Amino acid sequence: MGIGRFLGFEISLPARRSILYLSLASVVPLSVPFFVSAYWTHVLIIGYYYALLAVSWNLVAGYTGQFSFGHVALAAIGAYTSGLIAVHYGISPVLGVLAGALVAAGTGYLVGALCLKMRFVYLALTTLAFSEILRRVIIIEEEYTRGSLGLSVPKLFGPGVLWYYYALLGVLVLSVAVIYWIMRSKIGLFLRSIREDEGAAWVMGVDIKKWKLFAFVVSSFIAGIAGGLYGHYIGLVSPTMLTIGQMGLVIAMTVIGGMGSLIGPVIGGVLIEIASEYLREYGALRLVIFGALIILVMRFFRGGLWEAIENFRQKLTS
Amino acid sequence: MSFTPEPALFSLLLNISAEEFLLQILIGVIMGSIYGLMAVGLTLIFGVMKVVNFAHGELYMIGGYSAYFLMAVYQLPAYLALPAAVGIGFGVGYGIERLLLRPMHSRRMERPVEYSVIVTFGLLILLQNLAIVLFGPYVRKPPTYWEASFSLGLINIGGDRVFALGSALILLTLVLVVIKKTWVGRALMGVAQNKFGALISGIDSKQANSLAFGIGAALAAASGALLAPLFLVFPDSGTSPVVKAFVIIVLGGMGSIAGSLIGGVLLGVIESMGSVLYSPSYKEVYGFIILIIVLVLRPWGLLGERERWA
Repeated sequence: MGIGRFLGFEISLPARRSILYLSLASVVPLSVPFFVSAYWTHVLIIGYYYALLAVSWNLVAGYTGQFSFGHVALAAIGAYTSGLIAVHYGISPVLGVLAGALVAAGTGYLVGALCLKMRFVYLALTTLAFSEILRRVIIIEEEYTRGSLGLSVPKLFGPGVLWYYYALLGVLVLSVAVIYWIMRSKIGLFLRSIREDEGAAWVMGVDIKKWKLFAFVVSSFIAGIAGGLYGHYIGLVSPTMLTIGQMGLVIAMTVIGGMGSLIGPVIGGVLIEIASEYLREYGALRLVIFGALIILVMRFFRGGLWEAIENFRQKLTS
Repeated sequence: MSFTPEPALFSLLLNISAEEFLLQILIGVIMGSIYGLMAVGLTLIFGVMKVVNFAHGELYMIGGYSAYFLMAVYQLPAYLALPAAVGIGFGVGYGIERLLLRPMHSRRMERPVEYSVIVTFGLLILLQNLAIVLFGPYVRKPPTYWEASFSLGLINIGGDRVFALGSALILLTLVLVVIKKTWVGRALMGVAQNKFGALISGIDSKQANSLAFGIGAALAAASGALLAPLFLVFPDSGTSPVVKAFVIIVLGGMGSIAGSLIGGVLLGVIESMGSVLYSPSYKEVYGFIILIIVLVLRPWGLLGERERWA
């Protein structure tokens, strides 16, 4: 139609329909801050942070079948890199977030290059150990990092929540788009084939080391951006960012939302953050519930919420 | 004129005396054997089931709480409380395998490794936070096992440490004897080596899985109970030892029992040497550095078998 002819190509009917749906769907997240209080906008910002972590973890775990338990550590690397260079060298947070993402991606590359050539669960073991040990080091090196007190870092856009909301929403949409593009391309097929059967993929000529590493680096980069933005929004970077509980939260969001689906982790991330805000008074009991949900969903409903939505939609159309 | 090159060399190179050097090695061996107890449990589970139990640290924590409640609250003597804690660990482990991991082997299960990794990690989150809900975030200290102190020149080694070492050695010997000499142990090794071969020989691999997980869990609970007076009991008390156990099993080679014993002792010695030579705060980091070196040079571990692609 109009825009398509203007750009010099026709857009097919299904594509036109999905563009329509997408623009209708985008109205809700774009206008939400004008209808809810600043407090709930804050909750949504945190929700988007977790959604970013869940989406990027899903690229490695859900699509490629490689389990990294150090994903929150990569986010913390992004946050600390950006925070430390801002505090000690006065570098602007905008550059800092980018630098943080690059350092996170570099760390991801190194850890991945060490572990991804091995099968089984070397990556899971090493990344979990890495994450815990990094947390200890951050606490010990208080001269630079202010230890468990946390490092006060400058804000990205000054006070208020609106700018942060749109920044995180923008990065989230962009990340989902990038992952959508990766999974639609040939690379997506490579990654899925590695998940289904590494040996068979290798025999078919898929360079499994290269593509596993590729997925891991992209996912680390996104985690690094998420961590940097989060740090410069809260104004404080602390070792609580990389506890095992935080990793558990990211996994719960991905698994409950729907592992190996594009939108599932986004839904999981935002919904669980909202739920955990509602249930704040229950403290640790929330993580007991989320832990139990991880197990139940894995046992009885592997597809998570996204599959439930898909099933429901199919029932409507048929 | 007396000629003593060794101490001079030590003090020159490492800035400590030869005597202290040997002592640090001894301390490392003691701690390493206790770490080894935990790692052997993890490696046994991995060897038989090809599952890494990410909730292994929580079984350590359960062992610690069992020892605390049985001895400090119910006033049981140590010789009853310790076996009870090990029994609780076995029961919990056996139950976990039956309820959560057995479905993994069903034909309908897609991507069983993914299932086992995420389910045991979910269990970690569940159990750790359940401990906070039930017992609170407080740090508890069970009574000492052995009120004694052994003076070894420059330093003293507490009775609890010696007690833990002795019990760890007894338990490890017991496990090795059971695995090498009894039919049950041979059945477990059979399943570990070749599941179908074991099946053909009439071994119930399901039963073997439950048993392996139970024994592994019991060993974790045993180390938790033994170390409880030293390192205290709190909801995430299992995190630090389980990270060590992960490092050890990668060091020693996944699934190799001898490897995890050697890896344990190696890690203990590295940590204790690093503490003296550089700084004790970086204890955890030294082991990790060694892990990275092993991953670069010998990714299948010190005693592990090179991976076969089948």
